[in-house]
Amino acid sequence: MRTTDVAVIGGGPAGLSAAISAASLGAKVTLIDRNDRLGGQLIKQTHMFFGSQKQHASVRGVDISGILEEQLSKYKDNVEVLLNATVLGLYEDGVVTIEQGEEKYFKIKPKAMVIATGASEKVLPFPNNDLPGIYGAGAVQTLMNVYGVAPGDRALMVGAGNIGLIVSYQLMQAGVKVAAIIDAAPKIGGYLVHASKIRRMGVPIYTSYTVKEAIGKDSLEKAVIVQLDEKWQPVPGTERELDVDVMCISIGLSPLAELLWQADCEMKYVPELGGYVPARDEEYQTTVKGIYVAGDVSGVEEASAAMVEGQLAGLCAAKNLGFTSPDFEARRQDCIDQLNTLRSGPVGAKIRAGLEKLLG
Amino acid sequence: MSQNKTIVCRCEDLTLEDIRELIKKGYKSVDEIKRISRCGMGPCQGRTCRDIVLSELAKAEGKDISELKMSTFRPPVKPVKLGLIERGEE
Amino acid sequence: MLEKTGIPTEEQLKEVTPSKERLSRGPVAIIECFQEIPCNPCYTSCSTGAIKELVDINEKPEVDFDKCNGCGICISNCPGLAIFVVDESYSEDKALIKLPYEFLPLPEKGDMVKALDRSGQVVGQAEVVKVVNSKAQDRTPVIWIAVDKELSMRVRNIEMGV
Repeated sequence: MRTTDVAVIGGGPAGLSAAISAASLGAKVTLIDRNDRLGGQLIKQTHMFFGSQKQHASVRGVDISGILEEQLSKYKDNVEVLLNATVLGLYEDGVVTIEQGEEKYFKIKPKAMVIATGASEKVLPFPNNDLPGIYGAGAVQTLMNVYGVAPGDRALMVGAGNIGLIVSYQLMQAGVKVAAIIDAAPKIGGYLVHASKIRRMGVPIYTSYTVKEAIGKDSLEKAVIVQLDEKWQPVPGTERELDVDVMCISIGLSPLAELLWQADCEMKYVPELGGYVPARDEEYQTTVKGIYVAGDVSGVEEASAAMVEGQLAGLCAAKNLGFTSPDFEARRQDCIDQLNTLRSGPVGAKIRAGLEKLLG
Repeated sequence: MSQNKTIVCRCEDLTLEDIRELIKKGYKSVDEIKRISRCGMGPCQGRTCRDIVLSELAKAEGKDISELKMSTFRPPVKPVKLGLIERGEE
Repeated sequence: MLEKTGIPTEEQLKEVTPSKERLSRGPVAIIECFQEIPCNPCYTSCSTGAIKELVDINEKPEVDFDKCNGCGICISNCPGLAIFVVDESYSEDKALIKLPYEFLPLPEKGDMVKALDRSGQVVGQAEVVKVVNSKAQDRTPVIWIAVDKELSMRVRNIEMGV
């Protein structure tokens, strides 16, 4: 059976960062990703990132993906990248089963692993929610920015978090008119600078609104939205019909934690972090020794934090196998400090509350 | 299509009404609902429907989602051709 | 209210607006960033030291209007596209606004375009004076427009066509 020191599952911002830092300590790393290229969701992020220079602030996500791949290539002697490879199972003896392409099936037994599988988009139940034209916002972002396909002519964005705001802007960049952005919450959840830049394009943002139903024969033709009261109940008579052929759902992400459940990691339900997330220590090691986590699967957050979490988990996974460097402690502490800083302001309040519940 | 159905599980074509009906009948966990209806057994393996089923169960039981029994997760995480496993390791 | 509509209030704008006297003296950066978010490229990109150091990365940026020469380097570096340069010394009756614009087609020098306010309403016309789109802008072009002076603090976007 194949072996490796650190298997990193998922090649997005967290996984790439974990692979780089584990490899930098000299560990043999196997980076596994189900797509045909590395970068995860970074490859569709045409907007600039926030944060500081350490998290590549002001650089576009798609370019950060290139920077990370470049860094990884420095360690090509001890890094193996498996693309088109999906981890199917994680067993109690530490064996990982992998499907590569549709034909190859094999096992790896790593000494440690970093699970960085990310998150999937939550869906919203409403009548006719299966009409063609109703998408996840992230899916539309992939469609436009990776495949160069515009989803339609006129869109309704459901959710005014950062993904909803950013994808609305990118819809307009792709020439799609955005009829409105709505959010069930009474306030815009995403960064207000994102909201302002869309507002000045003339797109209205309606807070305390949700989707009542979708209307259409063979595909989406109209969306009916309705206002919500303080108790989040629909207010009769406030319905509005919007002529749209695209609806993007952006109401949050759920950590893709199947492998952690399979491995019997202790899981806790923390809504602030997106749902069930693994209990972990400061080094991002779960309750199962040798299994580390990083990025959205450990709690849904911005990609800047995911990269730092990946660095930290990769460093610690390698260190605990005996690999080290003179500056290990300084790098470890730097990651922890960066995470604390990113989360310390008012917009980090939700994450801090979630981590408080998770870590106690 | 377009019969005012609210789809919860696209893979197995289950509506919100279907799920609520099952909960009314006494199915009290994601796994019980899965076994009786196949909800979550399709290509997406529950990634679309699980959260909705959990919140419906929580509403019906008057409980927090954290108090409900989560579904069991088993390999493989996605559908694979039987031939892949039958052939064994490369 | 900004948190509900995405449009900053008059009070919020007052906090970040230079004095009339400073505006009349020449170009100056106005940072319309009203939320404490973890972000600091405005500070790190500023070569004149006009944008004060964000000791805590979550602090809101603050411009020293006397140090700022309105060079506009920060415009394309702001991930929130929240920075504008306003120059009321541009001409007798026109003010110059430099704003970020990431849409195709790009306007060209000499074009007349619609001038939009912070809600996207057309409030007048603008003449495109310059389109800055070099490597330093890294695909966030900066458009220089001339608008009627009284619109200098209202116009924050453009739309192609008249």
